[in-house]
Amino acid sequence: MAQVIFLRYIPGDTLLHRMDGRLKLLCLLLLSVAAGLASEWQHYLALLGVAVSALAAAKLPVWALLRDWRFFAVMAALILVANAFFIPGDPVPFFPFAAVSRQGLVAGLRFAGRLLLAVMICSVVMGTTPLARLRDALEWCLRPVPLVPAARVAMMMNLTFVFVSVIMDNYVEMVCAQKSRCVESCKNPLKRIKYLVLPLLTQTMMRTDEIVYALEARCYSEVRTPASFGTCRADWLVAGVCLGVLAFVILW
Amino acid sequence: MPVLEARNLTYVFPDGTVALSDVSLKIGDGEFVILAGANGSGKTVFVRHLNGLLLPAQGGVTFDGVPITRNLAEVRRQIGLIFQDADSQIVGQTVAEDVAFGPENLHWSRDEVERAVERALAAVDLSGLSDQNPHTLSGGQKRRLAVAGVLAMNPRVLVFDEPFTGLDYRGVVQVLEQLVRLREAGQTVVLVTHELEKVLAHADRLVVFDRGKLVEDGEPADVIGRVETYGVRRPLKNGGEMGSLTWLR
Amino acid sequence: MTVSCALFTALIIIGGYISIPVGPVPLVLADFFVMLTGLFLGARYGAVCLTMYLALGAIGLPVFAGGKAGLAVFWGPTGGFLFGYLLAVVAVGFIMGRNKGSLGKGSLVRLLAALVAGNVLLYLCGVPWLKAVTYLSWPAALGAGLVPFLPGAMIKIAAAFALGRALLPRFRPLGDERCLS
Repeated sequence: MAQVIFLRYIPGDTLLHRMDGRLKLLCLLLLSVAAGLASEWQHYLALLGVAVSALAAAKLPVWALLRDWRFFAVMAALILVANAFFIPGDPVPFFPFAAVSRQGLVAGLRFAGRLLLAVMICSVVMGTTPLARLRDALEWCLRPVPLVPAARVAMMMNLTFVFVSVIMDNYVEMVCAQKSRCVESCKNPLKRIKYLVLPLLTQTMMRTDEIVYALEARCYSEVRTPASFGTCRADWLVAGVCLGVLAFVILW
Repeated sequence: MPVLEARNLTYVFPDGTVALSDVSLKIGDGEFVILAGANGSGKTVFVRHLNGLLLPAQGGVTFDGVPITRNLAEVRRQIGLIFQDADSQIVGQTVAEDVAFGPENLHWSRDEVERAVERALAAVDLSGLSDQNPHTLSGGQKRRLAVAGVLAMNPRVLVFDEPFTGLDYRGVVQVLEQLVRLREAGQTVVLVTHELEKVLAHADRLVVFDRGKLVEDGEPADVIGRVETYGVRRPLKNGGEMGSLTWLR
Repeated sequence: MTVSCALFTALIIIGGYISIPVGPVPLVLADFFVMLTGLFLGARYGAVCLTMYLALGAIGLPVFAGGKAGLAVFWGPTGGFLFGYLLAVVAVGFIMGRNKGSLGKGSLVRLLAALVAGNVLLYLCGVPWLKAVTYLSWPAALGAGLVPFLPGAMIKIAAAFALGRALLPRFRPLGDERCLS
């Protein structure tokens, strides 16, 4: 169960899998901004081109990803409909619903397009980067920021991942145990929350104490061997393409 | 001279319960000592004093004759503690990363860290799994991963806290083989357990705890006759052989 | 504190996956744990937790309610609620202040006020955002983003109130006195 949540990473050995985590984060940022700014059809086309070729290059199982995207597709459709109906403007020729305005439809399409592009780009990055690499990359980005203890933040993130797995397993077991004692016939939501949250909190806090001891036993310190990074020329090339797309969106 | 020496340890929980009272124990270089006792007899609290996770109300622990409080970080490197619940010890997202956690804390160079990880994983036979997610390992593999995480820091003493809990037959055998290998390499090992029949044949000494006190300390063959008084199952009826007390064949 | 922060961040993430089926709208516990974070960790560390939660979501980890992730969620209609979490945790932590220990009558009122204020801020942030993004009319936005959640919000406030009263006096920030703080 716990694995389900964070198993977006699909192992492989492609250009994108090998790519340096820091540059990948940079690309994610660039493309997200580009998607947010995109307004003309050629912008969308360019971004779609990048996203599709990235998907192909990463050899990700598209069908599995499509299932993840279903939710966002519904959301995008809702936005499209809401926009089309609620923004006033000229009627659309040859369209059966008189209430739909041209301006509304365009605005809705823009918004939905941005959303879907951002989703696609995120999927590619998550699908090709293990958690640990993302964490190291984030830590590296935080290092020069004053007042932010990068090592501590990285450790915090790591512990969060650990806790999510541990608590989730714990939770699933607890729910099963409670179901076998017919918790579902209890209709009082306050009681349900109590039965769920109190044991979960106390158990995890006890677990936390154990983890603190375990970390200390292994000499936890914030002065640690820094993570190593290596970039190759292809990485820079990909980053360059992303930068180019952003420039294209801004300038044209 | 003993590697580790505990002198007159007394520990009281915040709520007033006395967990340890006046416990003294010497552990020599290369010894394999088993600490036995019923649940709540103070075994776990005791071993957590050995590397300074808990500090005693009275008494103290010395490592190589030096009080451990003088340099806790170094002592924790030298005394590797393997927890009862392997899950709470695992912090890495992959097996290799988890083993690297200790050496990275010691701020070794990247090369040294990698060498230490390789060596430790080879020692516990997990080299092939270095890119796996630790949470997908079997119980015995997780326990061995915890051992690797400690071995990577080159400890002189290894302390196992209830290493057999929740393991199936195969898991127990894996851990036992690991123990025997460590012992042959001359490692000092302290092992906390109440399941004597699984491991006693390999031990040099048997120490028994009862309600926070150290009540027996001696050759396994001498002590074993009296363990039932302290709530530990006596694995051997009269006439059995000490050598049969292991799950290894 | 490192460990406590990580713990509560994890709880918020898991809260997004836990739903209790009561009534027409299932209760999702993410905002409940956000309130608890404010109560137990205070404004400052609560904000640290939430910032980390949002950052993890932004880089694409599926941490938001129902396993959503990515910057897209921020652009989306529910994005306002995410920023609302941050405001709510700060508000709850700020109003509760630093008075740990025994809870007198005055602090019980304060506890309730903190929880209510947190929720008000959350919806104040979330609903207008929803309206702005989807171009819904006010009644429609309120009908989609507030009314269905009101009963659940009340229940969660009540539960958080009870939990806070029971646990706050006993809570000791984990690992504080050790070297991890």
